[in-house]
Amino acid sequence: MSVNRFSQDAAQVALEKFKSGQINRRSFMTALAGLGLAATFKPSAASAEVSEIVICNWGGAALEAFEKAYGAPFTDATGIEVVVDGAGPSTGAVRAMVESKNVIWDATDGGMVDATTLGAGGYIEPIDYSIVDKSLVGEGLAAEYGICNYTFSNVLAYDATKTGETAPTSWADFFDLKKYPGKRTMCKWIQGQLESVLLADGVKPEDMYPLDVDRAFAKLEPLLPEIIFWEGGAQSQQLFRDGEVVMGNIWHTRANLLRKENPDFTWTWNQNLLFASAWSVPKGNPAGKKVFDFINSSLQPEGQVELLRLMGNGPSNPKALELMTEEDKAVYALAPENAKNNLPVSAAYYAENEAELQNRFLDFISR
Amino acid sequence: MVIKVTNFERWAFMLTVPAGVVAIGLYVFPILQVLALSVTEPSFGLGNYVSMVRNPAIGRVVRTTLIVSAVTTLFTIVFSYIVAFALVQMRPKVRRFAMFLVMLPFWISVLVRAFSWITILRRNGVLNSALVEAGVVNEPLELIYNQLGVIIGMVHYMMPFAILLLYANLTDIDQRIIQAARSLGARAPTIFWRVWLPLSTPGLAIATLFVVIFSFGFLVTPANLGAGRVLMIAEYISVQISSTLRWGVATALSTTMLICVAAAIALAMRHPAFRSAFGGSQK
Repeated sequence: MSVNRFSQDAAQVALEKFKSGQINRRSFMTALAGLGLAATFKPSAASAEVSEIVICNWGGAALEAFEKAYGAPFTDATGIEVVVDGAGPSTGAVRAMVESKNVIWDATDGGMVDATTLGAGGYIEPIDYSIVDKSLVGEGLAAEYGICNYTFSNVLAYDATKTGETAPTSWADFFDLKKYPGKRTMCKWIQGQLESVLLADGVKPEDMYPLDVDRAFAKLEPLLPEIIFWEGGAQSQQLFRDGEVVMGNIWHTRANLLRKENPDFTWTWNQNLLFASAWSVPKGNPAGKKVFDFINSSLQPEGQVELLRLMGNGPSNPKALELMTEEDKAVYALAPENAKNNLPVSAAYYAENEAELQNRFLDFISR
Repeated sequence: MVIKVTNFERWAFMLTVPAGVVAIGLYVFPILQVLALSVTEPSFGLGNYVSMVRNPAIGRVVRTTLIVSAVTTLFTIVFSYIVAFALVQMRPKVRRFAMFLVMLPFWISVLVRAFSWITILRRNGVLNSALVEAGVVNEPLELIYNQLGVIIGMVHYMMPFAILLLYANLTDIDQRIIQAARSLGARAPTIFWRVWLPLSTPGLAIATLFVVIFSFGFLVTPANLGAGRVLMIAEYISVQISSTLRWGVATALSTTMLICVAAAIALAMRHPAFRSAFGGSQK
C-alpha cells in the first residue's frame, strides 16, 4: 500500500507543478503515465467550471424519467447538463469507485439504508444542509448522509382472476395457502420481506423492530415450496404476466405497470411497507458542491410529480400533493388514504443488520 | 544440454512480450490486488479464511455448487459424447450443417438462454402445457425454480464446448485402427467399448475438467432458473461484493476457489490422458 500512496503523492506534486505552470500539459501527462496513473488524475477536473452533473440510477425506464423529471428543470435553470448513468449504484460499486479514487458520479440513487451504510464506511459526503433545504422534504426524510428523493412501497399485488370472489387484503391472506392456493412471489433481497411475514403472524407495526427473525423463519419455512423469489422488478412483473403466481410482495411501481397492462392485476395499499430512496454524494465527486444545488432542484414538487406520473415513484416533498390529480394520488404511497395503515421500513435497523440478515435469508431460502 | 535459440525464435518471443505485459498489467496484477483483500480486509490476517471455514452457510453453498456441477458435468459429457460421436460418423455435408447447429448457441447471450428456458419449463410453459394437454401428466411438473431447472440450463450452456472438445479428439483417432478391429472380427459394440472409448479418454478427460471448472463459476443461470432456491458460490460472492460489502469473505472464497481449481488442473496434468490431450495430435 505504501508504494501506492507514494505514487499518488508524486502525481499530486506533478499536478501542482502543472497548475502553477512549471511544467506543460504534455510532460504532466507523461509523468502520470510513468506512474501508471494517467486515468486517475485529470488536471481539468479540479479547477474548471462545472459543466455537468452525473447521477447514477438503476437504468431501464428510470433513465429517461430521471432526465425529464430531475435533469431538465435543473438544466433550464442553470445551463448545467445532467447526465444519467444507469449502471446501478450498488454499495459495492460506490465503494470500489471511491477507493480507486476514480469517482464519476455526483449523486447516486440508492436507498436510505445504503446512504447510512456508505456514510458509516466513509465512502460518501454528508449532505450539505447549508445548501440543501431540509424543509423541502417530509418528516424524517432528511438524514446525515442521504436526503429522500422519492418514496416507494412493497405491496401485496394479486391476480384478481386467480384469487376469486374475495380479494386478499392483508399479509395474513398472502401467507394463507388454504384460502388462496397457488404460488406466490417474494423478493430475495431482504428489505421488506420479513416484515410482511411478521405482520401476517400478528406482530404489531410498533413492535416490528428489531425483527424477530427466528419467528419469521418459522412462519415462512412451511410455505417455501410455494414461493418463487424474484431478483429484479421486471422479473416480478413477468411472473404475473406468465400466470405463474397468484400473489406477490412486489414494488408498487411494478404493480402499477401491471395494472396499466391488465386491470386484473392490482394491489392493496393495506399494510404497505414504505421505503425512502435517497440521494447520496460519493466522496470526491467530480462536480463538488454544485451537486447540492442539483439535489435542491430535484426536491421541487413539480419535477417530483412528473416522476410520479412517469414511473410511480412517490414525491418526498409534501407540497407535491397539492399538484396531484385523483389519478396521481391512487399510485402515491403517501397520499393520506394509502398511508394510513403502512409500515415505514426502518433504515436505521437495516443499516445495522442488513449484511448479516441478507446472508441468513439467502441461506434460509436456498436450503 | 545446450538449447540453441535461433534468431527467428528470439524475434518470435520478443513479439509476444507486449501482449504478455498487457495481460499481466491489466489482468494478473488487478486480480492479485483483489485477492490481497482477503488477508487485509477488514484487518490483516487469516480471519476471513477462518470465518469462511466456520460458516455453515458457506458450507451449504459449496455443497450445492459441487452437487450441481457434478450432475451438470455428468449429463453434459454423456450427451456431448453422443453428439460428437455422431458428428464424426456424418457425411461432410450433413456434418457442416450439424456443426452450425452446435455453434448456434454461442451467438445467444447466457441471459437470453436462461429466459428461453423459463418460457419452456415454467408451469404454464411450452413443455408443461404440451404434457398436460397430451394427458401424460395431470399436474404441471416442477421443472424450474429448483436444482433441476438450473442443471438443465447449465447442461445446455456447456454442451457446445464439450462437443467441440470431444469432436476434436474423436477426429484424431486413426480410422485404420477401427478398420483393423473390424477385420479381426470385432462387432460394433466391442469396437465401441474396446477401441473408441479407450482412445477417447484424453478428450473425455479434458472436456470433463473444462466443464467442471466452468460450472463452479456459474452466476446468471442459477440466479435466474433457481430463483433464490439454488445458491451457488459465484452468486454468493457477487452478493458479498456488491451488496453486503463483505469483500474480505468474498475474496477469501474467490482465492480458495482459484487455488482449488489450479490444484485440480495440476493434479489432472499428472495423468497421461491429460498430457496427451494438451500435447495435441498423436498422428
